[in-house]
Amino acid sequence: MKLRAYLAASVFAVTAVIAPRAANAEVSPLDLVGPIAEYKIFIGENLEKLVTETKAFTDAIKAGDLEKAKKLYAPTRMNYEIVEPVAELFSDLDGSIDSRADDHEKAEKDPGFTGFHRLEYGLFSQNSTEGLNEFADKLQADVVELHKRITELTFPPEKVVGGAAALMEEVAATKISGEEDRYSHTDLWDFKANFDGSRKIFDLVRPLIEKDDAAFVTKVSGNFDTVDKTLSKYKTAEGYELYDKLTDDDRTVLAAAVNTLAEDLSTLRGKLGLN
Amino acid sequence: MTEETNTKAFITSRRSLLLGVGAAGGAALAAGMSGAQAAENNGEQVTDAPLSDKMLEQQPFHGQYQSGIVTPRPAAGMIASFRVLANTPADVERLFRTLSERIAFLMKGGTPPALDDKLPPADNGILGPIVLPDNLTMTVSLGASFFDQRDWLLPHKPARLSRMKAFTNDALDQSLCYGDLSLQISSNTPDTNIHALRDILKNLPDLMVLRWKQEGSVPVLPRSPDGTHQSARNFLGFRDGSANPDASSTALMDRIVWVQGIGDEPVWARNGTYQAVRIIRNFVERWDRTPLGEQERIIGRLKPTGAPFGGHHETQVPDYPKDPEGTVTPLDAHIRLANNRTEAAEANLILRRPFNYSNGVSKSGQLEQGLLFICYQADLEKGFIAVQTKLNGEPLEEYIKPIGGGFFFTLPGVVDANDFLGRTLLEAAGHTPTNSKS
Repeated sequence: MKLRAYLAASVFAVTAVIAPRAANAEVSPLDLVGPIAEYKIFIGENLEKLVTETKAFTDAIKAGDLEKAKKLYAPTRMNYEIVEPVAELFSDLDGSIDSRADDHEKAEKDPGFTGFHRLEYGLFSQNSTEGLNEFADKLQADVVELHKRITELTFPPEKVVGGAAALMEEVAATKISGEEDRYSHTDLWDFKANFDGSRKIFDLVRPLIEKDDAAFVTKVSGNFDTVDKTLSKYKTAEGYELYDKLTDDDRTVLAAAVNTLAEDLSTLRGKLGLN
Repeated sequence: MTEETNTKAFITSRRSLLLGVGAAGGAALAAGMSGAQAAENNGEQVTDAPLSDKMLEQQPFHGQYQSGIVTPRPAAGMIASFRVLANTPADVERLFRTLSERIAFLMKGGTPPALDDKLPPADNGILGPIVLPDNLTMTVSLGASFFDQRDWLLPHKPARLSRMKAFTNDALDQSLCYGDLSLQISSNTPDTNIHALRDILKNLPDLMVLRWKQEGSVPVLPRSPDGTHQSARNFLGFRDGSANPDASSTALMDRIVWVQGIGDEPVWARNGTYQAVRIIRNFVERWDRTPLGEQERIIGRLKPTGAPFGGHHETQVPDYPKDPEGTVTPLDAHIRLANNRTEAAEANLILRRPFNYSNGVSKSGQLEQGLLFICYQADLEKGFIAVQTKLNGEPLEEYIKPIGGGFFFTLPGVVDANDFLGRTLLEAAGHTPTNSKS
């Protein structure tokens, strides 16, 4: 094998252009203090909304108000989707709040299947609030616990900055297909929250890279704009159209924007000198 | 040393190295040792990479035609179909230029640039730090929708390019059909194809979205002592492509494969060709339970040799005029329907370049496998569409079910470093390439 590597290397020596280059102009860790602090405030506000709105949502379920519970499902979830990069740091809670049926061996029938999607399954697929009380209580307790833990957390800068891309990876890998909210088909609400959560991070660090990498900033902003423009076509008075209204053409536009944002934002940590 | 002599030196030493190993293996066998013991004695480890002396095989990227059409089919192939988001002439140019640059690099091989390790690496690395060509070809073709959805390209659509219509035996899964652009990727190993596909996806996320892909393989054969070649077998166990036209004959390829850009075909399309892709599921369990004689009558060839009935070699031409009733070769045998060897049938010749595919298990617990059929022709209507129409209703249909695919127009070749894929089309549409590097 050594022989092969040696010979191969010599064969391609002519074409080999090894040009290590710095990721970007120096960004000192201190430069990130402001953006991270601001992000923590942003997350805090959204978590408070999550706790309040989850209370209203789960109260509706426990009161047996099916219509109200259905209506509150998608907007309540958005508060979780927007803070997901931080929420995911607690995998136990992320699992119990946001796992999907396929994450469990017995799918919908699995006792471990709890959280938003378990309630979504009951409300939209079984069209009933029956038997959901225990799941409602559990979700409420989980989001309160999440709020507590995140408030006490020192935000790791690389997780925050990496979160911009992580949100896009989520959309690209499992959401663009419409499998996330498979019972309610309110996926576009999730999209909106994921994009807003990602854009928030990007906007916070944008001043640190704008001067040296204007083309990158313009390209990423352009793709966020494309997403906003595409999603706005599906805006309704209450929120968003159901996923099945999304045309094949618009799905393709969104997929390309998500893939491109995921590629570009994957360099954000490096551009900011983070590992 | 030039790259070429270097390459030769490499291949020579690799070959002798392999011969050495081969001789040792032979000696071990002669001494009555088992294969496992022999491996142990050679100091090989379980996870050692399998060795190949073909990694430096290279096909030309530059030329009148794209590679991967008359290029002898290697062991691994793939079709990937994309939606294209480039709508303006400038974006389409960027798409074509980027494809050309990436394909030129991947087919030649080399060392990807090293980036700061805080950034994602430029290359996916699955072939190691140095990308070897491994006989890679990447062939770019455009679907009818590519032209239909762009007003400025519509007048320049190749005359025979259409959206694939379902034939009588088809059960098309829409998620496995059509596409704005197809990439045929073939090389010696599936890993080289996957490396190339991932490179394209990474470099063009804003202009191309993957819709479907199908990988396939071709069973390899030992070298025959007399140097003769045989057609590879498909998953029905029959030799496939025995009647393929001779791809080394320029005159034949000019007539059968290459669009001449005359008559109603646009001039820009000269040296392109039509690509027909079909994902044809084979019901192999049922086929394997079918008597050999019936299998042979359905295909029209003898299974062991591939020869026509009464013949000894697969290249022999069946004498249908002597067999008008079909007593030797049934009138509805696959090969007789596809090509009845009359002068008229000469107009319907196609160049086949298929791969076998195997995807998993169906809901019914049967193998999901079959043929990734690919063929090229200068006239799609007289070629694949006419041939498949003749095959409609054939007895073989009991055992096969086409489920996907599409029709595409394969772009002319990239003649030199200043050229790029699709340049003649863009120029025909009145777009002067802008960001020319020259």
